[in-house]
Amino acid sequence: MNAIEIRGLSKSFRGLYAVDNLNMTVPVGAIYGFIGENGSGKSTTEKLICGHLVPDKGSIKLFDRPYTDAGVRVRVGALIENTGCFPNSSVWDNLMMQAINLGLSDRAGEIDRVLRIVRMEDNAKLKFKKCSLGMKQRIGIAMALLGDPALLILDEPINGLDADGMRMMREILVDITQQYGCTVLISSHILGELEKIATHYGIIRQGKMIQELSAKDLEGRAKVFTSLKTQNMQGAFGFLRQKFPDVRAEDGYIRIYDVDDTEGIVGLLMQNNFPVREIKKNKIGLEEYYIELMSKKEA
Amino acid sequence: MAQTHELKFENPSFAKRIKGMLGVDFYRLFHTPMYYIFLAIAAIIPAMIVSMTGADGGQTMYTNVWNIVAADSPRYIVHNIGEYANMNMVFIFGGIMVSIFIGHDYRSGYVKQLFTTHAKKRDYMISKSLVSAFSMACMCVTYLIGGVVGGMISGLSFEVNISSLLIAILGKVVMSLGWASLYTFLNVIFRRYFGISVAASFFIGTGIPIIGAAAIIGNNSLLNVFLYGSSVYACLSSNIVTMLVCAVVSVAWTVIYNLLGSLVLSRCDVY
Repeated sequence: MNAIEIRGLSKSFRGLYAVDNLNMTVPVGAIYGFIGENGSGKSTTEKLICGHLVPDKGSIKLFDRPYTDAGVRVRVGALIENTGCFPNSSVWDNLMMQAINLGLSDRAGEIDRVLRIVRMEDNAKLKFKKCSLGMKQRIGIAMALLGDPALLILDEPINGLDADGMRMMREILVDITQQYGCTVLISSHILGELEKIATHYGIIRQGKMIQELSAKDLEGRAKVFTSLKTQNMQGAFGFLRQKFPDVRAEDGYIRIYDVDDTEGIVGLLMQNNFPVREIKKNKIGLEEYYIELMSKKEA
Repeated sequence: MAQTHELKFENPSFAKRIKGMLGVDFYRLFHTPMYYIFLAIAAIIPAMIVSMTGADGGQTMYTNVWNIVAADSPRYIVHNIGEYANMNMVFIFGGIMVSIFIGHDYRSGYVKQLFTTHAKKRDYMISKSLVSAFSMACMCVTYLIGGVVGGMISGLSFEVNISSLLIAILGKVVMSLGWASLYTFLNVIFRRYFGISVAASFFIGTGIPIIGAAAIIGNNSLLNVFLYGSSVYACLSSNIVTMLVCAVVSVAWTVIYNLLGSLVLSRCDVY
């Protein structure tokens, strides 16, 4: 069973397609990193899943049920664009309203639980408008966690957070998937952070899903490369281009892609009077993979 | 208390869904100062009007204190402010309050939480209509108290046919439901434009369209099919038929506006 299964989903605004024939599959229990540039259709897709927008065509299924099913929707938690809290009410009151909305029986207990998860138990009485950005994001997560969510949809939850805030958010997300079994759909521009937690990725461009892959797939597909510096960079670059199919000059280094035999390369360069100053094996990360994929698509 | 491992999805009953949404709306209503401010406004305005009437040496707006609740007979065409200024003003205050209340849902973004967890859009319409009707009914009560206190201060006559008075008050309370549904519908239509929704609610609440129609077609009882018409019909010469008319008109418009609002929300983007 998939937590989210989208087929042929389209949504247009004044004739322009924000989501265009999109297909998406999010397995149960996954942390699905939803990646794309600004305006690529990430938030629109998330709003469509949550029923905030009406699709032009296509189908959305959540846990094998139509997304309009009341039983499944009551178990969806979302943080899209902003927290959706009343600024003049306290953190506690905002959570209480959502607890009542969800019809929870032990409301106070539930609020305490989610506040502990997001490490906000000492700030429950604070007015929402007095909270920092990081606190607001965490309150948003707490709202989404109330009740018994099977699916969390989080739109850019780590944007604007400092390094410590990002680390905390990362720990919270890993915690809730491991301890509570939630499936998480998370969109973010901060790919380095996403890479640390995501188990699956979906890459969207101009409203179309251009690739879906698991973290394992990415690991397999991610190119290895050797980067090096020599005394004669120009000469060595020309020489290596004759020997290997994919050699690039990037970031002050010569990079030889799909080759990780550093000893062989050092030997070859030494034999041809290109003494090596520095050499290291590398593997491209999500960010480089994404940039490369995008540039291929643009080409 | 880990509990989310189970993947069972039980459809919540209508009663459970509406209980949750009504609960949150009432919680919000009782925790917002705006509600109490409007209750106070609904009490102060009639008290002031009646008191000023007593102080007015030349013109007398009311001879009887209960005219602050309703006119002696259903008059759709307004000749003076005294015929207009009665408990129907609660529906103007109510319109503004409902617009602010619902507008806050959208402006804060809380509506996203509601629509994420409530797949059925009619829950929203029903809940907002009921909570708004309740708040307007409460305003009717504070209005009555304010009017009576003002009447006592100004020394106006309290003579009245008590059953007609009770029917008139109850009729207007019953009409609150229809008005609340209308305002909820207007706010759903203008959900992206807070100012327009407040202005539209105020304009419709004043009854100007019906007063305008009455100026053309005269004091015609056909106007009772509209909310303002029935609200005027609930007057100091009311009888049981008046009560029935108010109930039927109010419920009919409630159903119509709720259906239309639900249709708009399910066919259009919710924000």
